[in-house]
Amino acid sequence: MATPSTVPETEPRQGVRAQGRSPGELLARYGAPLGLILLCIFLTWRSEFFLTPENIANIGRQSAIIAILSLGQLAVILTAGIDLSVGALMALCVTALATLAIKLGVNAYVAILACLVLGLLLGVTNGLLLTKLHLPHPFISTLGMMNVARGLALILTGGFPISNFPDPAVTYIGSQEIAGVPVAFILVVALYLLGHFVLTQTTVGRQIYAVGGNPEAARLSGINVSRTLILVYAVSGLMAGVGALVLAGRVNSGPPNAGLGIELDTISAVIIGGASFFGGRGTAGGTMIGVLFIAVLRNGFNLLNVPGEYQTLLIGIIIVVAVYVDVLRRRSSS
Amino acid sequence: MKRNKPIVALLILFSMILTACGAEATPTAAPTTAPVEAPTATTAPAAEAPTATTPPAAEAPTATTATTGGDTTPTAGTTGGSQPPYDIPVIVKTDTSTYWKIVGEGAIEAGKADKDANVTFLGADSEQNIDGQIRLVEDQITKKVDVLVIAPSNSDQLKPTFDKAKAAGIPVILIDTDADWPDKTAFIGTDNEAGGKLAGEYYAKNLKSGDKVAIIRGTLGDTTHNARQKGAEDAMKAAGLNIVAIQPADSDRAKGQSVMENILTANPDLKAVFATNDEMALGASNAAKQANKQIMIIGFDANPDALTSVKAGELTGSVAQFPKNIGKLGVENALKVARGETIEKRIDTGTELVTKDNLGKFMTTP
Repeated sequence: MATPSTVPETEPRQGVRAQGRSPGELLARYGAPLGLILLCIFLTWRSEFFLTPENIANIGRQSAIIAILSLGQLAVILTAGIDLSVGALMALCVTALATLAIKLGVNAYVAILACLVLGLLLGVTNGLLLTKLHLPHPFISTLGMMNVARGLALILTGGFPISNFPDPAVTYIGSQEIAGVPVAFILVVALYLLGHFVLTQTTVGRQIYAVGGNPEAARLSGINVSRTLILVYAVSGLMAGVGALVLAGRVNSGPPNAGLGIELDTISAVIIGGASFFGGRGTAGGTMIGVLFIAVLRNGFNLLNVPGEYQTLLIGIIIVVAVYVDVLRRRSSS
Repeated sequence: MKRNKPIVALLILFSMILTACGAEATPTAAPTTAPVEAPTATTAPAAEAPTATTPPAAEAPTATTATTGGDTTPTAGTTGGSQPPYDIPVIVKTDTSTYWKIVGEGAIEAGKADKDANVTFLGADSEQNIDGQIRLVEDQITKKVDVLVIAPSNSDQLKPTFDKAKAAGIPVILIDTDADWPDKTAFIGTDNEAGGKLAGEYYAKNLKSGDKVAIIRGTLGDTTHNARQKGAEDAMKAAGLNIVAIQPADSDRAKGQSVMENILTANPDLKAVFATNDEMALGASNAAKQANKQIMIIGFDANPDALTSVKAGELTGSVAQFPKNIGKLGVENALKVARGETIEKRIDTGTELVTKDNLGKFMTTP
């Protein structure tokens, strides 16, 4: 589908500007990785358990679902959009998966495929609502979808989780390890490498950045804007399906209230990872750092038993700082 | 023409999803799903609910006139057929969730057991739709019902509406969720603090002073989870147990699992955990299993998954509350009030710790 580009122009826009090296630019590029490193140093100092293989594996496990959903969210935010429905889509996919595999006894691989296809179709629907029904903003279309999907997940299950998958094939990704490394995290790394490749090396990737940077210019230069938008929401929906599969393995269940509020975590991760809320800027690597930042923070909170009230407060402050860094960069580059 | 395509696509998609929903009705023979099926079965009474609801609603005007006539002779001792029926609407937070359907089931059964009762079961479309609940209550006040039985979605925001009921001379009985409103006739519901205490006391009995324990709780600031946490915390402290962590996991299974993994990393010698709902307890149980640790875990709600887990010897226990009792006692006491009898201001519908020893009482597996 994507034709590899011959021009070795990595990270469109960003690569060109990097020569400017304004303080805002530097902060936007290196702020999040630096923050993550400092956080890790702090936690290593404060908790003897932080830098242990078990704990690192824990962080990998705990961040997998948010990482997968955030990759879809990144594609959407790159087009200056937003997908509020990712958590609800994941819940609908996981309850559909559980209904098929547990209640109806459908073959595990068929159920997994259905889960992924359902996510993809729901994502396509998000894209169609936005581009064909001309709803004013993705905030509206995905807000609607969020409620529809959550409602359907609750109806499908009668409000109770459906638990205990009979076939270990369903729970493999979410629960198993290969040489001490959670399979879910291996999947995350593979997906992010693929995401990085598509965004930086293919025409499709370039079109996504172009649509987010300036939709009018993108349209005039012959890019099919509607098709690109439908594509990013489809990707986000598909990622919700993949996330559902990981979740199913992790909790061995299909809970209808899964992923409540997780859309906000994914948006936070993408923004902390240096993507611009105005579209056209952001990388898969940056998003991964944003995801790890949140996961390490939550892990550290638990290790040090920081009261919940302060956790909420701190995450809020970090989001504001991350967005302010983006504002600084925009100001200094203009 | 061009515009029709996406709409057709949407229709196809939704019909697919709806077909998936319909599939839910298909019965299964798998024994593991049996307990899960049990609550689903409450859809049956719920489906009946509208049927039970419709006649009183349709009769409402007639009933109202009859009651107004009856008002001239308050607290009539005889409860003969000449007595007009008492209109008792039971308004819960939402009529769409299993929990509230069970509450409604108790209310409707209690209504059927007393021929003077005209019970209607109502709820907003979601627990967050406070406005919707206020409108439901206002409509019932306009209908001049005899007693209001309400589970307030938000204790503060419903107070002005309670005042309206009072002004109209309609007694208000609160169920499930209490409100700081001095004119309520009674509050009938689970004593969550007492429930938390049951879990704390179990650990106090089975552990020794200084042992490490932790609490995983639901949404910060939620009064129900606050009460459960406090009950357990007080009992654990009184027994000299060492509470090494109190962390939130928003009543979510996956979050409960992550929090438990982290607590276990920092406290490898942890002995026990109390989670303020079953979802988090089940997540914690997964984490303990993966870490190959034997840890006592008690949840709250005694939901079918938790009971299955207790049976399998994974969860230590779960604090059961009795939602059906909440509906039943709500209606029974409303009838007493309608007849002019006095009732107690605080009626506890009970909590009980379910462990392997008394599991049979709670599990309805064949």
